[in-house]
Order: sequence, then structure tokens, then C-alpha cells
Amino acid sequence: MRILQLNRRDFLKSSAFAGGGLFLGLSGFAKLAEAEAGKALPPYLHIAQDGGIHLGVPSSEMGQGTHTTLAMFLAEELEVEMSQIKHIETLHHPDFKNPIFAEWTNSAINIQVTGGSVSIRAWHLPFRQLGATARELLRSSASRKWNVPVVECMAVNGRIEHSGSGRSLGYGDLVEIASLLTPIKNPKLKSPEHFRLLGKAIPRWDTPIKVNGTAVFGTDVDLPGMLYGTVKHCSVFGEKISGIDDSKAKEVQGVIAVLPLEDHAVVVANSTWAAMQGAKVLNLQTSGGYNDLSDENIIKQFRTDLAKEGVPVAHRGDPVTFMEQAAQVLELEYESPLQAHAAMEPLCATANVTPEGCEVWAPTQSNDFAMMIAMGITQLPPEKIKIHTTYLGGGFGRKVEYDFITAPLLASKMLGKPVKVTWTREEDTRHDFYRPPFLVKMRFGLDAEGMLQGLSAKLVGPAVSRRWKMPPPWLEKNGRDWMVTIGMFDGYNLPNRTPDLSKAYSIPNIQVDFVPSDIQVPTGAWRSIGTAHNTFALESGLDEVALAGGHDPFELRRNLLSHNSRALAVLDKAEELANWGKHPKGRFQGMAYTDYLETYQVQVVEASVSKRGKVTVHNIICVADCGQVFNSHIAKQQLEGGIIFGLTAALKGEINVQNGQVVQSNFDDYPMLKLKDIPEIKVHLIENHGPPGGLGEAGTSLIGPAVANAVFAATGKRLRRLPIKSKDLV
Amino acid sequence: MTTLKINGKQHTLNLEPETPLLWAIRDTVGLTGTKYGCGIQQCGACTVLIGKRPVRSCGITVGEVAGKDITTIEGLSEDSKHPVQLAWIEEQVPQCGYCQSGQIMAAVSLLERKPNPTDQEIDRGMLNLCRCGTYPRIRKAIHRASDLLKEVS
Repeated sequence: MRILQLNRRDFLKSSAFAGGGLFLGLSGFAKLAEAEAGKALPPYLHIAQDGGIHLGVPSSEMGQGTHTTLAMFLAEELEVEMSQIKHIETLHHPDFKNPIFAEWTNSAINIQVTGGSVSIRAWHLPFRQLGATARELLRSSASRKWNVPVVECMAVNGRIEHSGSGRSLGYGDLVEIASLLTPIKNPKLKSPEHFRLLGKAIPRWDTPIKVNGTAVFGTDVDLPGMLYGTVKHCSVFGEKISGIDDSKAKEVQGVIAVLPLEDHAVVVANSTWAAMQGAKVLNLQTSGGYNDLSDENIIKQFRTDLAKEGVPVAHRGDPVTFMEQAAQVLELEYESPLQAHAAMEPLCATANVTPEGCEVWAPTQSNDFAMMIAMGITQLPPEKIKIHTTYLGGGFGRKVEYDFITAPLLASKMLGKPVKVTWTREEDTRHDFYRPPFLVKMRFGLDAEGMLQGLSAKLVGPAVSRRWKMPPPWLEKNGRDWMVTIGMFDGYNLPNRTPDLSKAYSIPNIQVDFVPSDIQVPTGAWRSIGTAHNTFALESGLDEVALAGGHDPFELRRNLLSHNSRALAVLDKAEELANWGKHPKGRFQGMAYTDYLETYQVQVVEASVSKRGKVTVHNIICVADCGQVFNSHIAKQQLEGGIIFGLTAALKGEINVQNGQVVQSNFDDYPMLKLKDIPEIKVHLIENHGPPGGLGEAGTSLIGPAVANAVFAATGKRLRRLPIKSKDLV
Repeated sequence: MTTLKINGKQHTLNLEPETPLLWAIRDTVGLTGTKYGCGIQQCGACTVLIGKRPVRSCGITVGEVAGKDITTIEGLSEDSKHPVQLAWIEEQVPQCGYCQSGQIMAAVSLLERKPNPTDQEIDRGMLNLCRCGTYPRIRKAIHRASDLLKEVS
């Protein structure tokens, strides 16, 4: 199997297609199409003769608003209103390999993928350039048509106007001429003071179809003659199917076929319900399996591995010598458990495999992974496979994986019909690629003034990147795994990136090591990745350091961030908005800070704890400097949503493993926060016109330590493991 | 054979009476706005109205609702201009959107019962799950919809 690799080029290629209109793409894809596929690959900007704009974008829309924001970049430069954009779809395209991951990894990760909160960072300039190029083509077209200089042809609200004569033409009237012209290189981009859309609270493009039931998610794909399926996995991790008794399953009315695969079976029927009923009574015989796997054994393994030498992650100064002479040393251990993603849309995908070709419809975060698995199963070349990306009913990192695309591909291939496979909630909960559990041990060294001068930390847990075998080499660098070390002075230590600690806490002596301790539970990317365990440990630990050194938590961080003006501004604003230190009687405050995703952020929580140990969070202040904000509605949505995602992990369930299998199965035993549990959340964005940071995952990891710090203020009890349990507080 | 009246239209379906309404709506009638989330009446993504009552359609059979008035998100309005839908757009509620059909149906029913809901009444009436964290905006949108409904009537 291979991924299509195309060189990005700095010119734009336009061509007229049957049907008319102007088509643009960012690179020379037509060349590949002629050479290899015999047909053109899809363009991603089409301005039709009626002036309607059809847009293909690289990023999957999973709630983060990326379709809207990417369309805004184009619309801004093209001088059209958002209402002129008639169609936006996530397009699987060789041009859409994520340039940020490619840059960070020396092209080791050169795939189309939506994750890491990098969509806007990766695509804001290309989509502005695309819009500007189209605008200039349309101005040139009008200039030719009217025989007037281009400078007199102005693009205004979907039309080109001639300043001298008052004549004007809609874009639709100019696309035929435009499609014959050669685009200019490096068209001038608008300066920010002329922005009409960018930076404003523009309503999301996808809201109308998400309030009337017409948005098509992965579960909603409907094809003529389609069959419906579901999966049943072996319960114990590592088990394989050795035999199958499907007699009862086949008695269920509507069940058509039962297909055993390696570690799961697919039940195919004439309705999803019949398939689920069949799966319920399907009897899988299994062999192998890690039956001894349990929470207790996992943490025992971590504690044993804690004694091992780790892989160096960060080093600064001379922590060994400093610790020997430190006035005070705090030795602290923090633990984070497994968590499931639990997206509201369970895993699902649809495939139609024929001898001539294959189509896949999937709510995928990784269109290229979907392509690779389709190529592997069908043995078809990529030009005969089409990956359609539906809306995602939540992704959170789970839908980067491709395991849920295997079953419909195999079932369709074997049965010769389109098959949609929808997982039950139980299968989705019990067969996730979970947030990895971690043990973080830290030693903080304070000087005689109580100032933090040294930190040595050891991170023990699974290297999640090792599991991804394609395409190698992956995210690891000399045994380090950025996915799990991020958030502990790792400085984005990717294979082709120089770790940058210039903005981090200015602790002069630092040693951070990572001890890979692999477990037999599948783990993966969970919104906020390594910062989930590292920020919890570090920001809780700093609260302990502040207390031990006699400093206020804000003051301690100001001291450690005096070189970072953006961080200081965020700290000041958060302290002010939270009325820090002036909380009402019976309520207590806690705070945490992060620079994850190059977004500087403080969250302050006001909480109370009842005599029975029930924690109530009353309000949350979030102040963030994420660089340029392109849509303040969406930016705030992302921070609010990230906070609630993290708060759920801090206050509610966890995934437990006993006898080699996951204990939880559905929302009754893996509960989520409900509306009644949600405190007031105020998000304040600092105005900044610098380069954009990431937002999708930014809010998640610091709410846990902020709550735990407030709980300490309320009870004097330090929570070194999340989620918070009432019994630990009485 | 079961006859269901969905969004004012009769559907005669060749289904066992114990089939959950959810799957009849989605796979047989083909209205996919109503979502499957858990199958055990925990999440509310499958909420529809039976008469004016919000019902989690994964937990009720077609046999139980035969002949009754069933409304799904598709039947809420012809033009997406039901006051609750308008309020949802004004407050920019949806993120991924998967749970929103159920949230909207639950809100419509809550406002039928409590035209001026307090925050506590919203807390008690809105038990549907959302993983994107749209809850604060749902609360605002319900208050807004309450105002819009008064303007209409």
C-alpha cells in the first residue's frame, strides 16, 4: 500500500470543465490525473455560472467549525458574502496533506488528517490565496471584457464594478473568460484593517442544516440496495476468534450474513436493528487474550517502570546538583486513568465495493487512512477508490483511526452490495483507542525564598504512537513520543522540530524523562493528548509549590513567566475577571495555566464542596490569547466545549479494566455531564493580530487541575488522581 | 404490518411490533434526522414527540405508538423557522450537531409545558447528552425561544 505523494507547487492551475464555470486548485494535480488516472482529480473551488460558490476543503467538520472558518478565508479575499457559498464539503485530495505535520516531521506524516488543532494554522493562508487568486482572475476578466485597466475594476460583494462608468458584472458572468486566463502568482492579500468577515462573529455555515435534521452524518448515509450491519468484538483485549456459533443470530428475522474477522464479527441484516439483535445472540469462541489485564496490574507495572531509566525529553541547567542543595524538595505523584472518547455518533462507515471500484462514506478524521485501508482490502488502485467524508458526530481523536472502516469494506466486498455498519454504544465504549493512563512523578526544588528553581519529572505510560505502523517512521523521535510528552516541557519535540522552551516556565534546572510502559489496552489520541496527564500533574504540582513557598498561585506563575508578555497579560486579565481572592463565603478558587498549542490560557474555577464530598463548580473564567481570532463565535464555542469535555473527565467517569476487558459499556455506567451540571463559563479572548494558535483542544486539559486546586482550597485535600470522587473528600 | 403516523403522513410498514420506533423512523421510513446514540434511553439523541410528549424513540416500540401522532425534527417546521430552530441559529448552538435534533425536540416539548422556563426548569427538563459542550448555549437558546414564541402568539 502506498499514499499518493504529490509535490506542492506554488502556482495555481485553472481549467474549464464541462458544465462551465471557474475551477481552481492549489497545485498541479491535473498532471497526475492525466498521467495516472486518465481523469481529472476534483478541483476544490468552483464558481458556477450562476455565481454560486462550491468549495472543497481539507479538514473534516466534526463540530469545530472548520468548514465555516476555511470558507471565510476564501470569501474574505474573494469579496463575497458567506451566503454566496452554496456548498462546502471535505474533499479527499492529494493537495490536502497537512503541511504543518509534514513540516514538523520532515514529511514522515504526509497525510490528509484533521487533528492536533492545526487546521486553521495549516490552511488560513492557502485559502486566502485561493480566494485572492480567483478575485484577480475575475477582475482581469472584466478588464478584458470592458477594455479598461484592471485597476479600475473593483471586486465588491460578488460583482466586479467599473469605477469610471458604473458598469458592473456578477462573478457568474465572468467565469467563462476567467477560466481561460492564467492566474497570477502571489496575488495581494487584504490587510487586516479591511477585513469584512475575518475576526467577526460570523454565524456558522452548517448551523441551518444542523437544526433541521438534514446534515448527513456517517450514520445517515443511505444508498440504493444498501444492507445494514453492526460489529461484535471479542470481549477481552488480545483475543482472536477461534470459532463461531451463529445459529441463533441467523434465526433473527432480517439477518442475512455473519462474517467472522480476526477479533470481531460483522452481522449484516436488512436493518440496523436486526443486525444489533443478531449480534446480541451471536456466540463467539475465542482464543488468547490478556485475561490478567486490570487497573491494578497496569498501575503496578507503571510503578515498577518508574525505577527504569527513561528517554530524555527536556534538559536545562543542572537539576541534579540543585536538588542536592535545595532548601525544600516536594516529591509528588499524579495519576490519570483511561478515558473513552464517547462521541455522540457511534463509530460507523459505509462502503460499496464492486470489481470496478470502491466508494467509502465515513465520518473520518483521516481521509488518507480510509484510503489506505480501502486499498488494502480491495486491492484496487487509488484512482478507483473514492473516499467521501461525511459530517462527524464528534471525533475527539477517535475517528483518526480506521478500524471502523474495515467491516463495511469487507462485508461489501463479500456480499456485493453497499453495506453500512453502525457500532452499538456498547461496542464503541468497550473497543476504543482510549486516552492512555499515566503516572507522572515530579520532584520540585525550592530555594530559601521559596522560589521554584528545579524540576525533575518522569512520565510513565504507553507510547501511543508506536501502534501506528503506517506510514513509518511515525511520531517517535529516539523513543520519545510527542503525543504523550507534550505538556511537560516537551516543546513540541517532533522529529523535525527543534523543541522550543523559550515561552515555558523559566525554571532554571529541569530534567524530564519519559519511560515507555506499553499496555495491552489500545490507546490513541484523545482531545488534548499528552497535556491531559501532564498539565494535570504540572498545574496541580505548581499549586503545591506555591503553598510550600508561601506564594500566591498567580504570583508564582508571574514570576516564572516574567519573560513572556502574552502569558502575563492573560494572567492579569484572568485574575481581574475572576475577582481572585475575593470569592463569596463557602466558595473557593483554583487556577491553572497552559501554553499548549501556542495559545496562552488561564482558567479560574470557583467551586464548593459539600459535607458529603460533592463538588459543585459554580463558575469558570477562561482567558485566552490564541493569536489572531478569525471567528469569535467559533473560538468561544471551542473553548467552552473543550472545558466541558475536560470537566466531564475530571468530575465524572473513568474507564476501568478488569479480567482483560473494559468494565463500562454505555452512558449508564460511563456517565457524562448534563446541562444541569454546567456552571457559568465566561470566555475572554485577548485581542492579538499575531499568527494563530490552536483552539480545538486548548480548553480541555487545564480545567481538571483548576478544579482540583479549588477543591484543595476548599478542603485541604490534594487530589492527585482524577476523576474526583466524593469518597476521597469526606 | 404496522401503521405509523409520522409528521402527519401515514406509513404502513412491514415490521414486527416490537421493533423500536427509532429504527423504524431511520431505516424503514428513511428520516435520518433522529439519531441513534445509546439504545438505552440515556442520551436523548433519538427524542421525538408523541403528541406533545418527548419520547426517546429507542425505548418505545412501533406497536406501542401505532396510530399516534409522531413528530420528528423533519416535521417540526416546513422551512426550519420554528421558534426553537430560529433561537438555535441565533445563539449558534450546534457544534458537531449530532445530538441537536433530540435537544431541539426536547426543548420544544419543555416550552409547551413551561412557556417561561426558569433555569431550574430547564435543568430538570433538558436531560439529553451533548459531548461538544453546547449546554450553555442550549440554555440561552431556550430562553430566547421562549421570547420568540410569545412574539408569534
